[in-house]
Amino acid sequence: MAKNYTIDDWNKQAEKELREKKLSDLKWETPEGIMVKPLYTKEDLEGLEHTDGFPGLPPFTRGPRATMYSNRPWTIRQYAGFSTASESNRFYKEGLKNGVMGLSVAFDLATHRGYDSDHPRVVADVGNAGVAIDSIEDMKVLFEGIPLNKMSVSMTMNGAVLPVLGSFIAAGIEQGCSKSELTGTIQNDILKEFMVRNTYIYPPQPSMRIVADIIEFTSREMPKFNSISISGYHMQEAGANQVQELAYTLADGLEYVKIALDRGLNIDDFAPRLSFFWSIGMNFFMEVAKMRAARFMWSEMIKNFNPKNMKSLALRTHCQTSGVSLTEQDAYNNVVRTTVEAMAAVFGGTQSLHTNSFDEALALPTSFSARIARNTQLILAEETGITNVIDPLAGSYYVENLTSNIIKEAKKLMKEVEDVGGMVKAIELGIPKMRIEESSAKKQARVDSKEETIVGVNKYQPNEQQDINILSIDNEQARKEQVAKLDILKKNRDLSKVNNSLAKLISAAENNNSNLLELSIEASLNRCTIGEITEALEKVFDRHKPSSKTISGVYANSVKSSDMLSGVKKEIEIFKNKFGRRPRILVVKMGQDGHDRGSKLIATAFADLGFDVDIGPLFQTPEEAAKQAVENDVHIIGVSTLAAGHKTLVPILMKELKKLDAESIKVICGGVIPPNDYPFLEEIGVTKVFGPGTSIPDAALEIIKLL
Amino acid sequence: MLLKDYLQLNKISSKQFSRILKVSEISISRYINGNRIPNKRILRAIFKETNGFVSANDFLINDIKNIELNNKDKDDIRKLVREITLGSIKSLAKAITLVESSNLLDQKKSDFLISILPKKNNTIRIGISGVPGVGKSTFIESLGLYLLQENFKVAVLAVDPSSQKTGGSILGDKTRMERLSIKKNAYIRPSPSQGHLGGVTKSTRETINCAEAAGFDVVFVETMGVGQAETAVHSMVDIFLVLLLPSGGDDLQGIKKGIIELADLLVVNKADGSLLSTAKVTVNDYKNAISIINSARDSWKPKVEMCSSINHEGIANIWNRISGFIKERKKRKYFLENRINQNKNWMWDLVDQKIKNFIEKDIKNNQISYEIEKKLSNNKLNSINAANEILGIYLKNFK
Ligand code: B12
Ligand SMILES: Nc1nc2c(ncn2[C@@H]2O[C@H](COP(=O)(O)OP(=O)(O)OP(=O)(O)O)[C@@H](O)[C@H]2O)c(=O)[nH]1
Ligand SMILES: [Mg+2]
Repeated sequence: MAKNYTIDDWNKQAEKELREKKLSDLKWETPEGIMVKPLYTKEDLEGLEHTDGFPGLPPFTRGPRATMYSNRPWTIRQYAGFSTASESNRFYKEGLKNGVMGLSVAFDLATHRGYDSDHPRVVADVGNAGVAIDSIEDMKVLFEGIPLNKMSVSMTMNGAVLPVLGSFIAAGIEQGCSKSELTGTIQNDILKEFMVRNTYIYPPQPSMRIVADIIEFTSREMPKFNSISISGYHMQEAGANQVQELAYTLADGLEYVKIALDRGLNIDDFAPRLSFFWSIGMNFFMEVAKMRAARFMWSEMIKNFNPKNMKSLALRTHCQTSGVSLTEQDAYNNVVRTTVEAMAAVFGGTQSLHTNSFDEALALPTSFSARIARNTQLILAEETGITNVIDPLAGSYYVENLTSNIIKEAKKLMKEVEDVGGMVKAIELGIPKMRIEESSAKKQARVDSKEETIVGVNKYQPNEQQDINILSIDNEQARKEQVAKLDILKKNRDLSKVNNSLAKLISAAENNNSNLLELSIEASLNRCTIGEITEALEKVFDRHKPSSKTISGVYANSVKSSDMLSGVKKEIEIFKNKFGRRPRILVVKMGQDGHDRGSKLIATAFADLGFDVDIGPLFQTPEEAAKQAVENDVHIIGVSTLAAGHKTLVPILMKELKKLDAESIKVICGGVIPPNDYPFLEEIGVTKVFGPGTSIPDAALEIIKLL
Repeated sequence: MLLKDYLQLNKISSKQFSRILKVSEISISRYINGNRIPNKRILRAIFKETNGFVSANDFLINDIKNIELNNKDKDDIRKLVREITLGSIKSLAKAITLVESSNLLDQKKSDFLISILPKKNNTIRIGISGVPGVGKSTFIESLGLYLLQENFKVAVLAVDPSSQKTGGSILGDKTRMERLSIKKNAYIRPSPSQGHLGGVTKSTRETINCAEAAGFDVVFVETMGVGQAETAVHSMVDIFLVLLLPSGGDDLQGIKKGIIELADLLVVNKADGSLLSTAKVTVNDYKNAISIINSARDSWKPKVEMCSSINHEGIANIWNRISGFIKERKKRKYFLENRINQNKNWMWDLVDQKIKNFIEKDIKNNQISYEIEKKLSNNKLNSINAANEILGIYLKNFK
């Protein structure tokens, strides 16, 4: 006869199975500080405020649309761009033929930072980590044969958003479309640039004005265009845990709502065109819960502004699988990781999705790796039957309970932000960045001490590395082509129109009396370049200089076993007795590469291990780096390079050191450097290269040995 | 302590000692000259016979402690000094490393270097203090850029705290003076405090001298404004600035009277944007506070100014104040007098440091100390008597 068992019966049964261990040993504290139990039951659903409701209806926890994938699957939207406009155009067309449904443009770092390709500060950046765009002419080539009144185009652009969106709209106009027909998304989320992505140009105040100008213009003239993509993605990639990603992103969103309302817009004029962007990592259920929590919280937040249109309350989102979870070692494992993450995004109810390629930690994708990434989504959408039922994890004791916990934790963090006066203020004070860097240091400590497993990196390492074909870009060639095109553009345009457009921009910036996007479209039509428009506004707004602080102690305190560190500390003591000071390292970021997670991590962890660490500013030139190294008399320069600038910049650095008669300073490199480039770097005098997955104490020991 | 010194101090001849140890006299003289290191058995015997004053360590570092700089060392340093005076930044950087080194041989070299370094009295040494985040680096950058335009050469010595726990440090100040740091006539050197208290390094004075010899006419010393930092920096500079944040009257109560007494110039920074009006109030509050306070310098009432370092506003005015102060001090001959006082302070600090080193290295690690501690643990001595015994040993060896 079936007896009615209770949780106590289960407890007993479980204890019996465990023998020595206790049931409480099975609890798992997530990086977010949430305690996860081994078993959830009906009781865990009691009193939760978010669980009721239907998809397509407020509070939208179960999805922003009523039918979700049961009617139409998510949009497959692969983020891509490299070299020149014509190369990227070819790549887009190949994708569109094979299942891609919407475009997503990745610009190169010169464009992101508002420099034309002929600017001396970007010799290493043109075409390398995205596509080089200098003007409307490049924009037209980029979308050649792709009708902009039909194709939805997403653009990741924040710093140089005015000239880039301006020339995109201008290219659409010259294709014969009307502005109102354009569909797609402009990222236009400047706040997270100051926090984690680092492609800002102007200081926060004028930057926020630009955001408001764009929301205002698009809500008036481009009803099908998402004016902003409020992004948590980059936070998680920079190290944030899921609660931080959620809380800070929603808090950013609130700031944008406020500036739009300050402009006199009605909440319903723009809120339906706000979109979001999440990163989806390996913590499967946490990600699903995060996405559901986000929709619930956003709808609660917007309710306070009394919208009339229900759509204002619905959070729509794009997702990308996490790049930082992918490894250089045993790279084919990444296909599996990406699949798991893509599934989490789908169970979380995303509207569009990018899946990463397995060569993520090596270089930009090849057409082969891009195909596998695309197919991962096609297989999920068309072979599994997952799409047939809406929000299938709803009602799961665990997922619903987790969702509620995330809401609670995120609210706490948002309260901290509110207490200092909102997100703009918090960012000025550097609070979110500091919290995220702390999370990043803790994560590295867990991996270095093998508390967290990464297959192929700190456990189950393969005996031999397989050769992987990677995409290699001839950035010298790309730059030459861009410079030639710029010359032609400048010869054939009407200079008086150019000057007139730029003067208007400057005046509007000074007097705050007309819409900067409107004027940027006009300037683009008149063949002003991205760099010229940026520079004109810079005259009024100035270029932002970040003030960066570095955390200390978090890495060392998060390492559970102190043996791992004591070996290094001992070596440093010996070094110090011998040479009269600690090993001194200058950690350097050169060019427009803004990936600073690794360099900041190395800096804080090395200081925790007992090094004296000098930190160079972002965007240094090799000349400046060499000067700083000599002035501070460091033993070693550690170049952290992730955006493929190494082959151009490191040789210049070596030359500069030689000029200063400082060849005795050793140079090492770290970051995303394809193994094929190691011999080249060693040949020009680099002592050692440390790639992705490097264990920090191991690297420290090796470095001390080098000195 | 070295065997040589021990025997000399206690008036024991090598012959006598050789008999005590039961080894040949030749061996003893070899040990003394550092030509040979005694074996384990003899080391133990020496340790015992000298009551722990001479231990294994003393033989290992024998070659360094005893060494006189040879001619080549001296020539190298003369060359380094020549290059410094010709303005070589690399040589200046190397010299600063040398004066900061804790290596004994380096310290000898450093002493020699400082002794032959040309001294300058036509420079201006400016100390900058203030709570973390008040804007010291930003202020120095702004004033520094201004001074470059006025054809000065500017050096900045920034001290960053070394971690108590790991000893390592993050030297980030330069990042916050990015525009200044890339200028040709500016030199910024961040240094780890290496456990030295008081917001400076053990060699900040030596470093100032090096920078001046290299032709820098204005030297800033930036220090974090905590505890005794103010006094330490104050004793090394010609003018001492304290940076303050705009704040309401209530906060003023919390400001340490000591800081205002030391400051020659109080600067309310961040006088811009929404803080401008508060800044004005703060300036007045401080002016009132100062009127009832005795300044550390004769004949000078500290002044209160405000500026916005970020917007480069009020910077020229502050320079006028600084140069006005210096002119006035020179006219009244206080300037040189103060420099002489700086040297006196330097001397006493060195005496302090060397005594501390002696106690750290030669007494603390020594058998006798160990035994005294043991007596203390067994309640055979109380702390006061124990301390007196230690001091007795010290006096005996340093008479
Ligand atoms: C995180 C990340 C981001 C974050 C950066 C956040 C931040 N603040 O750093 C975000 C999402 C913002 C981002 C943005 C972009 N990214 Co990105 N990003 C990555 C990603 C996924 C991980 C990098 C990372 O931080 N890893 C974690 C850290 C700890 O590892 P690490 O830096 O490698 O450091 C380790 C070692 O390399 C070594 N090390 C590193 N430096 C040093 C120095 C010394 C002295 C030593 C001893 C050791 C050492 O030790 C560290 C510890 O193990 C990589 C792909 C990958 N998996 O590597 C792409 C990647 C670097 N990004 C890429 C691109 C293209 C971009 C963009 C330019 C895209 C675009 N067009 O808009 C933007 C622009 C960003 C910018 N401003 O420069 C490309 C670069 C392509 C290339 N090299 O050819 C990559 C390789 C992805 C890809 N395959 O397409 N990105
Ligand atoms: N509004 C405003 N902000 C300023 C001004 N000066 C500095 N700041 C800001 O204050 C913060 C701290 O400036 P720093 O120059 O690094 O301060 P510090 O006193 O050197 O800090 P520590 O070296 O950490 O003790 C930075 O964010 C600066 O941008 C100013 O005049 N006005
Ligand atoms: Mg500072």
